[in-house]
Formats: sequence, C-alpha cells, structure tokens
Amino acid sequence: MTAVVNPQHRTDPRSIRVVRGKKARRPALGPWVIVAIIAITGFLGLGITQTSLDRAAFELAELEKAIAREEARNLDLNLEIARLESPARIAPLAEEMGLVLPDTTKELLVDLDQELPVFAEAERGESNQ
Amino acid sequence: MPSDPKPRSAKIRLAIVGVFVVLAWLGMGYRLFHIQVLAAPDLAKQGLEQRLVERDLAPQRGKIFDRNGEILALTVDSQSLFAVPEQVVEPLWVAQQIGGLLGVDTDALYERLTTGKNFVYIKRQVDKATAQQVLDLEVPGVYAHPEPTRVYPAGATASHVTGFVDIDGVGREGLELVYNDALTGIPGKAVFERGLDGTPILQGISDIVPATPGVDLHTTIDLPLQYQAQNACMEAVETTGADSCWVVALHVETGEVLAMTGAPVFDPQTRRTLDPACDESEDPATCRAFRNFIVRGIYEPGSTQKLITVAAALEEKEVDIGTVIPDVADELELKPGACEDEDDDVYGCYRDFSNHDTMDMTVADIFAQSSNIGTIKIGEKLGQRRLVQYIEAFGLGTRTGVDYTAEAAGLLNFEAGCDICWASASIGYSVAATPLQMAAAYAAVGNDGMWISPHLVAAKADVDGETEVAAVTTRQVVSPTTARLMRDLLARAVDEGTGIQGSVENYRVGGKTGTANRLGDDGRYTDETRASFVGMAPISDPKVVVAVVIDNPSHEYRTGGLAAAPVFAQVMEQALHRLGVTPDNGG
Repeated sequence: MTAVVNPQHRTDPRSIRVVRGKKARRPALGPWVIVAIIAITGFLGLGITQTSLDRAAFELAELEKAIAREEARNLDLNLEIARLESPARIAPLAEEMGLVLPDTTKELLVDLDQELPVFAEAERGESNQ
Repeated sequence: MPSDPKPRSAKIRLAIVGVFVVLAWLGMGYRLFHIQVLAAPDLAKQGLEQRLVERDLAPQRGKIFDRNGEILALTVDSQSLFAVPEQVVEPLWVAQQIGGLLGVDTDALYERLTTGKNFVYIKRQVDKATAQQVLDLEVPGVYAHPEPTRVYPAGATASHVTGFVDIDGVGREGLELVYNDALTGIPGKAVFERGLDGTPILQGISDIVPATPGVDLHTTIDLPLQYQAQNACMEAVETTGADSCWVVALHVETGEVLAMTGAPVFDPQTRRTLDPACDESEDPATCRAFRNFIVRGIYEPGSTQKLITVAAALEEKEVDIGTVIPDVADELELKPGACEDEDDDVYGCYRDFSNHDTMDMTVADIFAQSSNIGTIKIGEKLGQRRLVQYIEAFGLGTRTGVDYTAEAAGLLNFEAGCDICWASASIGYSVAATPLQMAAAYAAVGNDGMWISPHLVAAKADVDGETEVAAVTTRQVVSPTTARLMRDLLARAVDEGTGIQGSVENYRVGGKTGTANRLGDDGRYTDETRASFVGMAPISDPKVVVAVVIDNPSHEYRTGGLAAAPVFAQVMEQALHRLGVTPDNGG
C-alpha cells in the first residue's frame, strides 16, 4: 500500500528543523579481523601439526621397515658366515690344497727356572748373519 | 498510482513452497542430527570394525649353536612362489621355464597350473635370489610371498643332533623336536587400522604386542669333531662294507656329548638320507627315515660289557686284578649237551673267540685277552643278583635321560627260570644297551666311579641374554679305587690285548673291543656281527670317552678290534686335540 498524505497534515516547511542525533557509524572491523587471523592461524597450525605428525609417522614406519630389512640382512650374513665356516666346506678345500690334519701333538716344555744363555756381542752379531 | 495487490493464489503457492523448503531443511537437519548424534556411536563402531585388522606376529625361531658358537640351525626369510592358475596364460611354458629354474618336476607343476584352483604353490621357501629370477620373468599369475625357512649351514654334519623341522617350521626330530616349544617362542599380536588398499593408517589405532623370540640353544657338540667323526664313520662303512656306523664322544667329567653322529648321514634340509645305496623310487620310507642308533638303537654289547662284570667283582672284593682264576678253558658247557648241539637249540655253551689250552689266568689277563670263559667264572663269584645290581647301576636297562627324542631304555633279560642268563650277561649277552649307555658307563670308570647323565644342550639363552644351564644327575657307581684299577685293565687291553688298533700316538688309551653276533629273524644267532669299541683317554686322567658301533661289517672285518677300533682311534685323537689335552706320552 502507498501512504497517502492527509492534506491537513502537510507540514509547514518553515517548521522543519534538523535534529542532530548520533552519527551513523560503520561496523567495527578490527576485532573481527583479529578473530579471523587467530582462527586462520589456528586452523593452519592444526594443519601443519597434523602434517608433521603424519610425516613423522611415515618416517617411523620407514625406519621400522629399514630395521626389519637390516635384521633380515644380518641373519642372511650370519648364515653366509656359518656356511663359509662349515667344516664340510673347508675340509675338502684344505685337502685339495694339500693340507692335512695334524696327526701328532708336539709339546714344547719351557723350564722357567733355567737361566737363559747370554751371548757376547760378537757372537750375537755372528748369529744374526 | 498505487500498485496492484498480488493475487491471493500466488501468496498461497509461495506459502506452500516455503513450507516444503522448510520441511526439507528440517528433514536434512534431523538426518544430520540422527547420523551425527543419535547413531554416531554405532556407526563409528561399524567403521572401526571395518578398518581394524588383527594379525598374528610370528616369533623368530631360536638358533642352535655348537659349543664354540658356530651356528647349527637358524631361520631366515625366504620367498614362497605361488600361482593363480586362472591368470596363467601359458601354463605349459610356465611349467617348463619356472620348473626348470626351480628344479620342480615340470609335469607335476603343469598339472597344478591347470587345476582351476585360485591358488597353488609352485615351490615353498626358495632363496631370495632364485625367487627374484623367477619374478623377473614377469609371468602373469606368478607371485611370491615371504616365508621364514629353517636352514642348517653345517649341512648333514650335525643332523643327528639337531634333527629337523617340517615345511612349516615345526620341530619333528632331534633337538628341534625336544625343545620345539622353547625354540618357537611366543606369537605376538598386532591390531591396527587399515585403509581400503590394505595399507596401515599410521595415525590410526595401533596396538602391538610384540612376539617373543624363541630361546637359543647352546649345545655341547664340537662341530669340527662332529665332522671328523662322521667322516671316519663314512670311511669305515665303505672300508668294512658295513650297513652302518655310529659314534658318540662324551666329556668324562661333565657328561657333555662332544659328538654324536653316524653313517648313513641324513640331510636335514631335504629331509632325506644321503646314503648313495638308497633308491628313493624303490624304498622311499627307508630313504627318508631319520635314524639315530646312538640313542635309539639297542644292541648286545658283547665283550665291552665285561667292564661291568669285572668292576663289580673288584668292588665287591670277590677278586682283585691279580687273582688267579684256575682252569680257564676255551669252552664252557653250563647245560649238558649244549656244546654238542649243532643246531643251537640248547643254550648254555660258551666259547672263547679263539681256541686255547685250559690254563690258569689272572683277572687282568682274562680282561686283556677278553676271555669269555674267564669272565663267566668271575661273574659266577658275583651271582646274578649282584651282577644285575651293578649292570643297572652303570645305567644299562634305563634311559640316561639325555635331552633327545625317543631314547631307548635297553633290555635286561633275566627272566625267571633262566638259570644261565647271568653267564650270558657277564659277557654282554642277554643284555641290550644303546651306544650312549655304554659310553656313559665307561665314562663313570673314567670319572673315578661317578656316573654323570649325558646331555646335548649346555644352556638355553633367551632374547634378554638370560641363560638357563642344563642340570645333570650323578651317582657313585664304584669307588675311585676300583675305577682306577679298571682304567689300568682297559689300558692293558689296548697295549697287549684285542684293542691294539685303538691306540693313539702320544696318548695312553684304555678301551675294550666287543664282537657280538646278531640275532636272526628266527631268534638264533647268525654269523653277522656288531663290532664295537668303547674307550677313554688319556688313561692317567681321562677326559674323553668314545663309543663306536659298526653294524654288520663284512666277515673280514667282523670283530671290534678290526672294524671299530680304528674309527675309535681317529675320533679319539681329534677329540683330544680339540680339547687341547696334554699327551701323557702313551702309544
């Protein structure tokens, strides 16, 4: 509906006065900006933290895999050593090279109470020739 | 000019649409509320159940070491090759190529690849290098998965000690079986969240109870000595034409088994005997049979038993080594007509190995010359009751308690009414013992009369390094004086008697030969023999006892002195060198 002005209520332009009220202000943006910055920072921080944790978890998993690989390799190397040291491998090779098992035991008895012979300088020199 | 008012119907339609929109939003809102609030716990639980996976973590099987720390058995990772037959495009080509590479029968593999199953093994537990060669062929339908496999780096050398495991790593023989639970360890459990592709969600729920590895066994075996002993046995079988040869070496003072082996040898990796005379296509059961005569085989020890008879008589002071036993003939008839009976239907005839005139012999001579008749006369002074008492005290007829599977107890045949069994038992018949029992009995004499239970494992070590040492049992069988006298007699048996081929250069050896006839299927004695030699060195302070049993050597080598004594000498010499025993200038 359109308001219809009652002719009897038309205002005398001379009676119009300006009433000065409060200034119309723009809404304060500062706090909102701060809140936004904090929110965004917090969100990014959470994201970064989560990413770091994930990365650390991946690295841990990779390390655990690497440990398992090295442990398996260690076992393989132990096996290789045991095979190389096996008498069943070494004995035939030694025999091919002409080596034999010692069949007698020689004992060297040293009398610690006995005085050792002392050589003269000239004799020592001769003995070294 | 005032505007025209909207028609009433438009307002109604707008209101209806508005209601629907509101209802739709309310519905979505309620659904969200239902999912996020009311049903959330159940849905979260369902999701978790879908993501959660529970896996058993297999423990690492413990290793087996010899006394010097050499590995006798360990478990390593390998690859098991399998195929999905429906994905294999050219099964014949695959069978030929891959079968040839792996040494698998091509026909059998082809048959498996054409079964229509969705999973068949090509070959399990293949080493990684070979598996990679197969995978490098990039054959469709052929894959590999990791599988632990038990490996024996020493090959067949220690197989009579370690035994073996089956394809699934479960102990089936020997130490692998006796200590299977300890070697296996305790499985762990892993519960974790996984994604759609099966990979673990790293930040998700993860609860891991790690597996506890099995304990490691530290055996008493000396691997180089074990190898030498096995070699000596293999040579003896070849030289004497025997069916088999068995040797065991014990540490006198501790009861530790230094070597336990024989021929034919057994390969624990392939689980087959390495006897070249064995044809698996004709006799698969025999060719795959695992034998250990040392612990499980019983035999009549023959003259080696005389140690017990004479020791008992000395201990009971019925005789001393200088006592003269009069009228020792080369034949003794305990039952009338026994010696005239050609069919051996009447028992009770005993003869010495060689003919000789009837003579007076000292106990020492009787033992050195291994006179059956003389020994029976000594046994007669003891009587059956005391003879049996000492036979049992020396460990015959009872398990030694060695940590090995299926140990035989042996037999003592003194049935009621058998009035000549004591005579037979005096000279090693009517009694059946294992080579291990005989070695332990001789070790008691070497250890000043103290019998010690033989054992194969010195200690068990868990993952934390804590060790559990094996317990032994001991008992005094004869006095140290009697033991010393018996050692002197044993030394004479080697120096002057039938055991001369058992001598070792630079060491004084004491030992006894044994030649026992084998029983035939009809229960009568045959001409086939079991030749044995049991002895110790150095006689002044024995450190090692070795027992050798050779089964059915050819006639030319039928006696213990000819067949078994040379093997004893080889093994004893190596054992003394390995232990660094100072020579006592014998030989």
